[in-house]
Order: sequence, then C-alpha cells, then structure tokens
Amino acid sequence: MKNGPFLLLGLFTALGVSFAAIVLGAHGQLGRLTPFYDDAESQAYPQRMQGVAARGQLVYADLGCAACHTQQVRRPDYGNDKARGWGERQSVARDYIHQPRPQLGGSRLGPDLANYAARKPTEEAIYGLLYAGSATHPSYRFLFQERELVGERSAKAISPTGALAPKPGFQIVPTERAQTLAAYLLTLNNTYDYPEARPFVAAKKGEEPKK
Amino acid sequence: MTNVPTNAGSAEVTALDSQARGPLLLLLGSGLVWLVVSGFLALITSIQLHSPQFMADCSWFTFGRTQALRDTAFIYGWGGNAGLGIALWILGRLGGYPLRGLNWSVVGTLFWNLGIAAGMAGIASGDMTGFSFLQLPRYVLPLLVVAYAAIAMSGVLAWSGRRTDGMYASQWYAVAALFLFPWLLCAAQAVLLWWPVRGTVQAVAASWYGQAVWTLWLAPVALAAAYYIVPKVVGRVLPSYESAPLGFWTLIFVGSWTGGRHLIGGPVPAWIPTMAVVSASLLIFHYLVLILNFRVAFQTGGTAIRFIRFGLIAYMLAGLAELLTSFRGVALHTQFTFFSTAIEQLGLYGGVSMMFFGAIYYLVPRLTGNAWASAGLVSGHRVLMVVGIVLSIVTLAYAGIVQGAGLLDDKTTFATIFGQIRMTLVVNSAAQLILVTGNVLLLVNLVRSACPFTNERPATSIFRQPSKLEAHAS
Repeated sequence: MKNGPFLLLGLFTALGVSFAAIVLGAHGQLGRLTPFYDDAESQAYPQRMQGVAARGQLVYADLGCAACHTQQVRRPDYGNDKARGWGERQSVARDYIHQPRPQLGGSRLGPDLANYAARKPTEEAIYGLLYAGSATHPSYRFLFQERELVGERSAKAISPTGALAPKPGFQIVPTERAQTLAAYLLTLNNTYDYPEARPFVAAKKGEEPKK
Repeated sequence: MTNVPTNAGSAEVTALDSQARGPLLLLLGSGLVWLVVSGFLALITSIQLHSPQFMADCSWFTFGRTQALRDTAFIYGWGGNAGLGIALWILGRLGGYPLRGLNWSVVGTLFWNLGIAAGMAGIASGDMTGFSFLQLPRYVLPLLVVAYAAIAMSGVLAWSGRRTDGMYASQWYAVAALFLFPWLLCAAQAVLLWWPVRGTVQAVAASWYGQAVWTLWLAPVALAAAYYIVPKVVGRVLPSYESAPLGFWTLIFVGSWTGGRHLIGGPVPAWIPTMAVVSASLLIFHYLVLILNFRVAFQTGGTAIRFIRFGLIAYMLAGLAELLTSFRGVALHTQFTFFSTAIEQLGLYGGVSMMFFGAIYYLVPRLTGNAWASAGLVSGHRVLMVVGIVLSIVTLAYAGIVQGAGLLDDKTTFATIFGQIRMTLVVNSAAQLILVTGNVLLLVNLVRSACPFTNERPATSIFRQPSKLEAHAS
C-alpha cells in the first residue's frame, strides 16, 4: 500500500458502510414504528409515560440502575425469562418507542424490570428496598431525608425498623427523586400482546405450512 | 507496493525523538495517571459487587456510576492519551522528520484531559448517558473532538509529509486509529445524544460504537505498536509480511459489525446479532494473519516484547471468545453475566493495555535518552500485571459461568447466585488491587525516568545497541 488517498478512501468506506448498514439500517427498519391501535379497546399501545414517570426514568438512568437490571425480556423458548415471571412474551421494539432513552441494560445482577409493575409491587416495598437494601441490593439512603416530625406524619413516610428506625420525633421521607423513581417503576408494564410479539410456531413435519 | 521493514540498525535515540520528548511524555504520563484513577475505581466497583453496601450511601459512587467512571477513565483517559502518544511517536519515526505542530498537541492534551475530568464530574453528579463506553455527558463531547483533532494533527502531518513514499503496516494501523475515532465519536454522539434515534435503535447504535471504539481505535493503535516494535527487537522482517494488508482490511471492514452480539434475543432486528456472528467469524482471517506475522515474537526476549507477546495472545483469545459468545446457543449461558465482563477485561486489559505497556517500555528510553530508572520496578510491574490480569479474567469468567447456570434455573434466586459467586468476586477484588499496585509502580518509574534530576543513568553508552537498551530492563 503506497497510496495515502487510497488508504483514506478505504477507511471511510469501511466506516461509512458499517454505520449506514447497522445504525441507519436499523433506523430505517424501526425508526417509524407507530403505536398499535387496538379497535376492540379503542386504545393505542404502548401508552405514553406520565410526566412524573418520565422524570423517574431520568433518575433510573443517572443512578445507573441499568448496570444491574435489564429491561428486555427474551422470548419464552430462549432462556427462562418467562419461567421467572418476567414476562409472558418477548420484548419488541414497539415497547420502547415512547421512551426517550430505553434502559435495555446488559447485565443481570438483579431481576429484569421490563414488566416490574405487572408483578404488583407496592410503593412501600420499593421504598423499603431502596432505603434498607438487602443482601444483594445496596441501600440508597441518599434518596431519603430524615425530617423532624412536626404536626402530622407525612403520608409518604416509611417505617423502617431496628437499627434503621428514625430517631424519636423524626420521620424518614423519600425525596422527590425517590418518589419519581418509584412512580417510574410502577409504570413498567409492557404486557399488551402485539401481533409481532406472538411466538412464531414452526409447522410440524408433514403438515402444510399455514397460509 | 508495501515497504518491507529493514533491519533495526538505525540510530536508537535521534533528534526526531528529543524534540518530541515533552509533548509525548505529557500524553503518556497523563494516560498512566488516568489508568491509576481507573484502577482505584475498578477496585471500588469490584468491592461493591461482593459487598453491595460499600459506599452505597454516597450518591457519587453508586455501582452504576463507579462502573461508568471506571470505563471512562480507562477508555478515554488511559486508552486515548497513551494511544495517541504511541501513535504519534510511531508516525513521527516512520515519517522521517521531527514531529510538527507539537504545540497544538500539548494544548490539545490539556483540553482532552480537562474534558475527561469535567465529564467524569458530570457522570458522578448525575449526567451519565447510560450508553456503555459513551457515558460522558454530551456537553464535553464537542470539546473532546476538537482536542483530539489538535493532538492528532501532528501525527497526520508526519504521515502526509513522510520521507518515504510507501507505508509500513504500523503506519496503516496508526493512521486508521487517528482518522476513524473522531468520525466514530461524532457519528455516535449525533445519533445518540444530540438528535437521538428512536427507541431500541439507540441500543443498536450504542453497541456499534462500543465495538468500534475497541476494534477501530484502541486495537489498531496497539497493533501499530506491535508491527513497529517486534521487527525492531527481533531484528528481522516479519514473516509473511505480504499478508499484512489482508489482516488490516479485514479488521477495518468487519471489525465494527460484531457489536450486535450484545443484543442477542433483544428487541432489535434479528439480522443484527446474525451479522455479528458472520463478521466475528470473518475476523478469524485477521487473527490468522497476526499469527503468521508475529510468530517470530516468540523466539526472542526483552521487556517490551514480553508485554507485546502477552498482549497479542490475549487479543486473539478475546477475539475467539467474542466469536464463541456471539452464537445464540452459547450466548444463552453467557449473556448478561460476568462472562462478558471477563471478555472485555481480556481484550482491553490483557490485549490492548499490555501492548501499550510494551510500547511504553520501548519508547520512553528513546524519548528521554535515559534508561528506565529502576529495573526492579519494571519486573515488578510485569509480574503484577500478568498475575492480576490472569486472576481477574479467570475469576470473572468462573463467576460468569456460575451466574449463567443460576440464571437459567428459575428456582435459583438472585441471593443464591450471589452466595455462590461471592468468594470468587472477593478474589477478583484482590486481582484489581494487584493491578492498581502494578500501575502505580509503572507511574513512579516513569516519573523517575523522565525527571532529569533523579535519573542519573544516561543511555548514551547504549544508544546504538537496541538489544542492550531492551535487555537492561528485563
């Protein structure tokens, strides 16, 4: 190789082709997905997140929750996501079209959260885990405030016990960030059955493939 | 046609190097400082894995954030600075004239480091993007692009104004790394952070960028160093050198297609992981060419060559592991586990960093005109690196396999999996401690060697005997 321009041309072709094929190709395929309108329910899916949940997603992202929790369910015959109760169907691209920054995640040190709200967790349970942690979950006490109890106890105040209990005359209240995070987690529910999410059933031997 | 490297009889310390001393040592030194910073962050991350409550109460150091900080300091701080230093030095040497535009490079280095520091403060205080290897908040990225261009300019000038008409393999790789990275960074930040694409296309773009940073930027710099240094130390032309272009173009054309292996089974078009399998298989040609070219590296000794040899083996093993885990049947067991972390560690630490270390051991005595200040620190660093890297990869891979088996059994809870791998992760923390200790040794040695007052052992007596300069430190 002698020729400088030839080298440069090769480099940019290589980069351009891979960018165009992978990123622009995927964009061309998925970039214009629209919500699915269900005539029977007169409702379009997926539904937009409410403002408070959208803010919660920012908290989820900036704390780095995706370092341990994925939000992508694999199809029932690939892995055991269904057996673990994480979702009846695989996640599809349409699930994420309203999310400004989908949190797919790449590591499962904790459970998948794509359909967390479908498992009916309570707000108290979320606050309890965030405040006290567990053997496997860190306790994020900076998401809570210990406030002096003046007048009535806050409706959001949590009641940890033992060493974590607040001092007498004080209460532990989730901060606004914790509240938006909990609101976000309580909206994670992608259980609507899109046509493209139905598992592909291969025709058995000897049978005519279904038209 | 391609230029065939000649025997390394040329002068070892030349006017070419002495003019570039300050700017290049600044790049290498700041790279090493970031490596040590990243090492401490890796230690914190690793401790948090087996003791989740460690520093959890401090919002700046949640696990997600320390991990992002560790990767950022490693990729942009260490890989960026040291890689640019090595690439500039190689291009200057092979260009045949003193490097031009080095003032720009010094200013660029300062702003590059300032940008990374500001970006890391941004990550710690809540502005991380969440894209693996592109965690830096978008407000520092334009600065980084400009600073990178300022640093890289003198390498480009050295290449375009080179004395000889042809090019060596190390020049192709170095030029590729210098030119491709700014395009990569601009393309990725445009589609991810400034005008974000929709939904899961972001995950596709992020995996493309994460792979390309490694295959089109860091690995080419490391290979440029190997292609430059191995023939010099061995003292002969690399065997099968005529096949080097095949290895080069295979890496450049298919290297960035393998990112889709992280998205197997995910909500993306199925052809993306499939293309990853195809391209990871094609990369076998790249590795075969490397084996053909670098088989001579196993016939000789010396500090630099030992690091590079280790690096080449780790690089190829990482490629093999990437290929295997891109198959769906294997990914079922390894996806979302520490096994992916182990492969990353194998490629970035065992592969790229070890080749960078080899290059640093080779070029610093030639830049300063002094032998390394302490031969003891050199061998100490080498032993700690080898032990630390092997230990961390083995523990992470084992933890990944146990974790994968646990995840596939729906009766196994996360607490059970955690109990099974906890001790392994403790050993991994020890490995991280060994690694950071080793890198502190290298940093101390570099400071002592570069400082004219503390280092009283000029290499003038061994200027024209490259083997001696090498052997001294080993």
